[in-house]
Amino acid sequence: MSRLDKLLAGWTFRTATPTFEPGEVITAYVSERNGDGLTVRIGDSVIRVEDGGGAAVEDKVRLEVTSFDATNHVGTGEVVEVLGPDA
Amino acid sequence: MPEEPDIELSFRGGRLVSALPIALFIAWAIFQSGILGIGDTTGLVAGMLTGLIVGLLFVRGDWKDYADVIFAGMTRRVAATAVVAWLWAGMFAETIQVGGFVDGLVWAATVLNVGPGLFPAVTFLLAALLATGIGTGYGTAIAFTSLVFPAGLLLGANPVLLFGAILSGAVFGDNLAPVSDTTIVSAVTQDADIGGVVASRVKYAVVAATLAIAAYLVAGFGIPGVWSGMPYVDVAGEVSASVSPWGLVHLLDIAVVIALAVRGRHIIEAVSWGLLLAAAFNLTLGAANLVDVSAGSMLLFSAPQNGLTQAVEALPLLGAVVETVPAGQVGVGGSVYSGAAGFFPLIVLTLLLVAGAEVMRAGGGFDAIQELVIDRVATTVRRAETTMVVGTALVNATVTINTAAEIAIAPYVATLGKRFNINGYRRANILDANTSALGYIFPWGGGLLAGYGAMQGLVGGEATPWFTAEMLVNPASVFPYVFHGWFLVAVFLFAAWTGYGREYVSDRTSEEVSRV
Repeated sequence: MSRLDKLLAGWTFRTATPTFEPGEVITAYVSERNGDGLTVRIGDSVIRVEDGGGAAVEDKVRLEVTSFDATNHVGTGEVVEVLGPDA
Repeated sequence: MPEEPDIELSFRGGRLVSALPIALFIAWAIFQSGILGIGDTTGLVAGMLTGLIVGLLFVRGDWKDYADVIFAGMTRRVAATAVVAWLWAGMFAETIQVGGFVDGLVWAATVLNVGPGLFPAVTFLLAALLATGIGTGYGTAIAFTSLVFPAGLLLGANPVLLFGAILSGAVFGDNLAPVSDTTIVSAVTQDADIGGVVASRVKYAVVAATLAIAAYLVAGFGIPGVWSGMPYVDVAGEVSASVSPWGLVHLLDIAVVIALAVRGRHIIEAVSWGLLLAAAFNLTLGAANLVDVSAGSMLLFSAPQNGLTQAVEALPLLGAVVETVPAGQVGVGGSVYSGAAGFFPLIVLTLLLVAGAEVMRAGGGFDAIQELVIDRVATTVRRAETTMVVGTALVNATVTINTAAEIAIAPYVATLGKRFNINGYRRANILDANTSALGYIFPWGGGLLAGYGAMQGLVGGEATPWFTAEMLVNPASVFPYVFHGWFLVAVFLFAAWTGYGREYVSDRTSEEVSRV
């Protein structure tokens, strides 16, 4: 990312409920763990993962979005890679 | 740096008791600085030490685990990064100050013939420029109150408004400067690179600063009521300061630090280049008799008088940084020494505070408070961000050394923000803006007291014989006029509610932390 891009990023009003496309791969922190499953909140949008692998709360994961309902801001996804907690 | 495996601690009285060392420290800080009005950082070190010892008494099981947790906390990378940054930034700031940089700014204001109405707004801009360059709001508050404040009074500017403008400039710099201690803490604790953090916070700082400039112009040119309600002493025409413009060359070494920082160089590298350049300028300016500065201003060994030391003093080159003095005045001095030494109490306090935070983590205190906040209060991203803004502001309003407050609240901002995948840049910005602002607004704020201390130094000073104790600005009267601080908090409340500037982790990820 260039210096100018860094300076110009985010000069917008970002929604509380971002939307995602199926097939999109995103990086995010795990918000909650429920049994084997994970909940990832991006703002007020929620992506649920059935098999969370070894990921814990606050771990960063690479996530493939498998479905997303833009009306209710809820989707499902699969963990591609567990990146782990921040240093 | 390899991290120790996490140790869990159990406390008599439950998880929340693990917060006792930090809670005792906060109570100590309120008592010492809020009630008694003592802004002594080493006193806070004693408070944190006391807190850590008292906490030990409540540990169940082996006390060695508690000791290990303290060690684990003190050796965390966040602590080392802050220590390194402060030492380098401290040396740099002090070196450009002995090089006459503030004099250069005063010269510019005088030459441009800035009148009393315009003076507060211009002072805000210049203080913001200095603070952004040297990265210390406290240093700016002290330097500007010592040098620009009397200049402003002589020009007929309103003292309360002027002091507010200086503090506003300090807030701006503390918030935006890449070498500011609060900027560094905000970036390191939220796992974001400092260059990216600075670039991303321009969008908030510019909005608040634009509003603040407008407010200083309106108040400076005297809307009835604002003007008439403020104390004012007429000393215009008493003395005219003669200052040298040459210190302005230090704008070049500040530019070098900022340019290297923005290019992503490591902080040690960026500031070292700036420091070397500043030292070269100082030697040149001093040798040409343009500024009263020499090698001895930057480093000076004051040695006891004897045959050996007098021989060393007479040597070429080495003799320039050695002088012989009577036995009572022996010591080392100069900007490299005092710039670094000025941060020693804060460095020790930070190491101990990080240790206290580690105790709280190991004892489950953070988890207990987080569960409460996350389950009950911060149920949506708007409410989470608003909680982060208000929480940071509240902690900073009570703990007056703003860097210490920032370190205490940082883990909450990180956890709460990550829960909603709020980007590291955004988290660092919420944390730092409200930390920077609040430390200069309330009468017990460390930055305000630093400036007030400098103002007390003006009473009967050699350069300001006309300045009397009656002319001191009451610290409790200045808070409404720290416009940039108030606007910055307001901008973030607005941003939390509307989503202005909000970014998610999935939008972009921040770069490596140790980059400036």
